[in-house]
Amino acid sequence: MTLAIRQISKSFGQHHVLNALDLELKPGELLCLLGRNGAGKTTLLRILAGLLKPETGSVWLNNQQIDYAESHARSNIGLVMHQPFLYEHLTGVENLRFYARLYQLADDETALEAALAQVGMQRFARKPVRAYSRGMKQRLTIARALLHSPRILLLDEPYTGLDLQGSQTFNQLMLEQKQQGCIILMTTHDLSHALPISSRFAFLARGRVSDELTNENLSLENLETWLAEKLAKPLSAQKRAVA
Amino acid sequence: MKDWLHSVRTLVWKDLLQEWRSKDMLTAMFAFAILTLFIFNYAIELSPVNRAEIASGIIWVVIVFAGTLGLNRSFTAEQDQGCFDALVMAVPDVSAIYFGKMLTNWFVMLFVSVLILPIYSLLYNQSLFNAGFILVLVLGALCYSAAGTLIAGMTVQTRMRDLLLPILLFPILMPVNMAVVKAAGGILAGAPLMDVQAWLVLLAAYGIIVTTVSIMVFEYVIRE
Repeated sequence: MTLAIRQISKSFGQHHVLNALDLELKPGELLCLLGRNGAGKTTLLRILAGLLKPETGSVWLNNQQIDYAESHARSNIGLVMHQPFLYEHLTGVENLRFYARLYQLADDETALEAALAQVGMQRFARKPVRAYSRGMKQRLTIARALLHSPRILLLDEPYTGLDLQGSQTFNQLMLEQKQQGCIILMTTHDLSHALPISSRFAFLARGRVSDELTNENLSLENLETWLAEKLAKPLSAQKRAVA
Repeated sequence: MKDWLHSVRTLVWKDLLQEWRSKDMLTAMFAFAILTLFIFNYAIELSPVNRAEIASGIIWVVIVFAGTLGLNRSFTAEQDQGCFDALVMAVPDVSAIYFGKMLTNWFVMLFVSVLILPIYSLLYNQSLFNAGFILVLVLGALCYSAAGTLIAGMTVQTRMRDLLLPILLFPILMPVNMAVVKAAGGILAGAPLMDVQAWLVLLAAYGIIVTTVSIMVFEYVIRE
């Protein structure tokens, strides 16, 4: 099961965000997408989730083009974005029950509490989400994204609001997902947390992947140096490199 | 179809539970409806001759204006927390979101109507508990929710949603307003249901057409 992104382009008015972007992800792989603010990371995730239509290009899973009109295709994807996608007046367990029912999953109490337990939220299951801190909302958001056992996980800044323990719990969950063959595409600026779980790092510039780095005993120092070099390069130089 | 209905039921359950907890729509709609009824009570002197005709107009105006407040709030949770994206990915068909919201808006409008009818009866000393009159209100509220939910889905993504919703919605509702006021007025004046049958057919046809069209176009409305 390979996820292939082929020649994806997207513009907003005169601003070309993605420019014939190609990328391929294998099962059990976690690709960490890096880049400047506004490089198009979130746009790419929204396109992969089927929430934005690209101007050109397509997304393929297992050599079959994904048809986002099919509910089956959409339910293969788990999504964590900047916004938590949670209802403030419902409790944590009610939010999960709502999404479980939409995904036609078993919504018995035990299953939902197990989903909350894996992100360390079982104690707060019956509190309304409006009483949650940012980190607690993020934990619940992660539980929501994993609830339907998606084959593809798209994570936009998943460490936002998480404390050290929360980040470690998240990393543990991602390692389990990788072992189960899930394809994970993640954007983050938190390199120290992303390093132990990432299989590869890709740098997005000028709407394309300008460089990649495989995580083979990669140290944080080397990763930071690599990223600092990319960020230090003026955009014009990166454009030439991409061309 | 079974999955679609299951999604609609789940969405209605979530919306009603959330509304019951927050009372965002209900409080605003009920307060506005009561205030408007009081204003009409001072402004319009009802005589036994014009009572039936004017009562239907007053009640419908109050319901429509209060309903607009509710429609403005109906997509707020989805918009504020980004839940639209999650819903689009989870439902078997995006039209289920429209239909679920439409049913919730309809239930809330009917609930507010049930609360204000006895208050109207007290203020104007006129009983409105007539099966035919209630049938007209139920149909009128359904048509209103059908058109209003579509337009609210469109305007919620704009900065001027509070202004845009009534501007876009009221012209579309002209046939509904006319049919409800004429049919309800006739029934309160003592006319048999057969005499207002044409207005009832108009309401039913409007409801079916608008709901069908909305189900077909809702995906484009929320995606673009």
